[in-house]
Amino acid sequence: MAVQFILCFNKQGVVRLVRWFDVHNSDSQHSHDSIAQIYRLISSRDHKHQSNFVEFSDSTKLIYRRYAGLYFVMGVDLLDDEPIYLCHIHLFVEVLDAFFGNVCELDIVFNFYKAYMIMDEMFIGGEIQEISKDMLLERLSILDRLD
Amino acid sequence: MGSSLRSFIKDVRGAKTLADERAIITKQSAKIRTKLRDDHLPHEKRRVNIQKLLYLYILGEKTHFGQVESINLIASDDFVDKRLGYLAATLLLDESEDLLTLLTNMLNNDLHHPNKYAVSLALTSLGFLSSPELARDLYPDVENIIKNSKDPFLLKKALQCAAKLISKDISLLEIFNIEDITKILSNHSICTHGVLLGITKILQSVLLIGLDPENGDDDDGIDYANDVLSPLSLLLRDFFTRLENLNSKNIEPGYDVQGICDPFLQCEMIYTLKLYFQVGELLNSNHVLDYKDNFCDLLTRIATNTDSTKNSGQAILYETVKAIFSLNLNQPLRVLGVSILAKFLVGKDNNTKYVSLNTLLKVVPQEPTAVQRHRKFISHCLQDNDISIRMRALELSFAILDNSNLVDLIDELMKFLAKQDEDSKDLIIYTIDHLIDTFDTHTVKDENWKLDVFLNVLKLVGPFINYEKINDILIIINNTAQLSDKCNFLRKLLIISLDEKSMGISDENIGWRLVLIWCIGEYCDLLLNDNNESNAKIINESSITNYLLTLQECYTTTNHKIINYILTTALKLSIKLQGPKNIEKLRQVILGYADSTDLLLQMKSNQYEILFNQPVSVKRIVLETMPKFEKVAEKQENVKKTSKNPVSNEPADLLSDFLNDDNKTEAIAATDNNVGPTDLLEEIFGEKKDTKRPLKNGKEESIDQPLPASADSNVILPSNAAKIHDSASLNVYATLLSANSGLAHIELFFQAKSIISDLQTFCAVPKAQKLTLGQLHPSSTIRANQICKQSLKISGSGKLKLRVKLDFHLDGSPSTTNEQFDHKFDTTL
Repeated sequence: MAVQFILCFNKQGVVRLVRWFDVHNSDSQHSHDSIAQIYRLISSRDHKHQSNFVEFSDSTKLIYRRYAGLYFVMGVDLLDDEPIYLCHIHLFVEVLDAFFGNVCELDIVFNFYKAYMIMDEMFIGGEIQEISKDMLLERLSILDRLD
Repeated sequence: MGSSLRSFIKDVRGAKTLADERAIITKQSAKIRTKLRDDHLPHEKRRVNIQKLLYLYILGEKTHFGQVESINLIASDDFVDKRLGYLAATLLLDESEDLLTLLTNMLNNDLHHPNKYAVSLALTSLGFLSSPELARDLYPDVENIIKNSKDPFLLKKALQCAAKLISKDISLLEIFNIEDITKILSNHSICTHGVLLGITKILQSVLLIGLDPENGDDDDGIDYANDVLSPLSLLLRDFFTRLENLNSKNIEPGYDVQGICDPFLQCEMIYTLKLYFQVGELLNSNHVLDYKDNFCDLLTRIATNTDSTKNSGQAILYETVKAIFSLNLNQPLRVLGVSILAKFLVGKDNNTKYVSLNTLLKVVPQEPTAVQRHRKFISHCLQDNDISIRMRALELSFAILDNSNLVDLIDELMKFLAKQDEDSKDLIIYTIDHLIDTFDTHTVKDENWKLDVFLNVLKLVGPFINYEKINDILIIINNTAQLSDKCNFLRKLLIISLDEKSMGISDENIGWRLVLIWCIGEYCDLLLNDNNESNAKIINESSITNYLLTLQECYTTTNHKIINYILTTALKLSIKLQGPKNIEKLRQVILGYADSTDLLLQMKSNQYEILFNQPVSVKRIVLETMPKFEKVAEKQENVKKTSKNPVSNEPADLLSDFLNDDNKTEAIAATDNNVGPTDLLEEIFGEKKDTKRPLKNGKEESIDQPLPASADSNVILPSNAAKIHDSASLNVYATLLSANSGLAHIELFFQAKSIISDLQTFCAVPKAQKLTLGQLHPSSTIRANQICKQSLKISGSGKLKLRVKLDFHLDGSPSTTNEQFDHKFDTTL
């Protein structure tokens, strides 16, 4: 039970956030190719009628959800519980939304380092570490002021 | 942050074309590279450059040149720099980097940093970058935080981090102290949900080590069952209570997700408990197994109380079901589990359908009847819009298929096939494969219905069925017991095909055509001789003949496979039809390919032409209806070969065997040049024993093709060849290479006394045997005293007898010389 990677890209496939928790994939050319494949796979799927889960490789399935123009994708083990990762994604987006105040793609583009800060307060080594939105936001606002 | 980062991002976004964007990125990348190399770069600038580098990373650019620089940032006293440095390190480095060793010291320092945010950064980064070396070096520092910190914020991170480290280096189990965990659990003020999550993670790491069979031997000095599992089991009771409280709690602000209290933690706890019992069973530890009933009760309560309409509730239920089946808990629980999954199928949400079908598929072997009960819902999913749902429903349908629901399920599958198109080709192929398997493994009493199924299959998805599967379908048709069923089948095929009004069958439907053509060749006499035939207006000799002619015209350039079938059928019809006009038309079809550019067709045409002109009595023997085909055990070994077998008994595909034989003789002849005759025989016998011979021949085909045929034109007569015929023009010798298990290999050698050209050999064997005749080698023209060789394969039973008829031109004379002789071998098959 661990997230292998978290990805966020827009409808055109431009990556906005990427974090590999799985070391073997972090070689830059390899990860670049994987992202392109993931984008092709997900963007070709029927947004309304298809499930938010899709098998990607022998070891990875993708859990994704689209929020406005942004796809949020998690790569998890084949045997993992899919629905709970949708909760993960949703929580992450909710926190982004609350932190930036009605978040939009541009917030993430220009403040990517803050988005990473949020991600890193929620996930550690691919595991979720905090689930209380209030607690997260309180902590994040302190961290944000340390700038 | 710096405005220059903003403007860089703006520039990239503002690029009008891809080329512009590339130019901006390349320029910046080069600039950053130079800047970072400059030791005198002001601090501010350095920071901005690393930020830009990270943006390049997100864009997928090369960033390796900034790795050292980012580690340097970590060493900074400034928290903002340190944070940026850690972010860069976790993004740009990976566990395999040597640079990690550089990090060890910095992490070590920061884990003891007075600023808890710095400690937090170090813990997060260590969680990411944990390598076995880092694990060994830094575990004590992390443990120190677990033991002493009273801050849940650090504690949860330290626990997660420790969990990672333990999984990296299992020898850490020796230092891991469960009492640290017990202490935390007993202290309410620090035991937040985040901390509990951390605890489940550390327990999971420890339990997974116990579950891994590779760690079974206690050569590392740990007795897992006693030293680890037994103290760990003391936590079970506490876990049950916590999970139960969580699950029954309605609302807890801050942890509520769609009305469910902290589904994340609930899932992790269920998963952890599952691991407990898996390890417990593996090691047969009563410390754990004594609690099994409690666990079952708890799971029952969770399964009944959790709201299944929301995603968060479904996540918990799903985890519960997984626990039930991976531990194979008691039957009522398993049935409960199946009905939870079935409930998921009902809604409109494809996510739950996906999860449910996937899981049902896994649990069918454990609870087949319970799953079958929900067949209706499963079949319903066959009509889903989502192809991945359809695929899974399809797999599941076949998984629950048995004699009791065969008919109903196959009806559903037909409805399903009716709606598929080009896009779901994979699904169609999957269905066909499994349908054929199903009929192989299940006995169906109503064979008429079975053939109707295939009629439907061909009609609906004929264009997508590959040749191999068509062969399998032909076998099924051929093996149908009742002739009347086959007749019915052909009648239906013909009515649909010949009726001009129904345009149901398109020219692309090769599958339909092949089956139809084959069936006409095999069974049309039965249909035509039936005086009660009510469809005589549609089905008669002329309509069938004309239909074949139409097909031949239609496919003559596009599909040679069909033409091959048509030729064979035309030949077969020559004994099944009465009208000389129709027969002549068919002869013309065969003749039409005598000079085809397709070698196979050309050979076939010429050979069939000869057969065509034989007296009916001879043809009846050659063109006999195919026997029932028994699938042989060979199937596993060489699937392709098996599917070809039934047809290879029939003249139609004889040619493929001819080719094989041809290759074989060529291969032998090739060795011939290098070794003496005795060796040659050994070679041949050796090869005969090789069970995978057909495959080998296939390989040799490609190897031997480039060899010029003339290079090995000297066939040498083996010393044990017996003379079986002696005439003024030639001697014939025979060797029996092998004869066992109903299969004999014979080679004939024709030694010319003067020049013989266009030699054609016809061989006949007793009725109980089948003969496959190889090609003449090296050629059908033999100079004086030269030898030409032909191999024969005879299968069946009874005495080995041969009648050989030879046609040839002697000394270039235009008239044909005939010779005929019989030979009996001493062997019985």
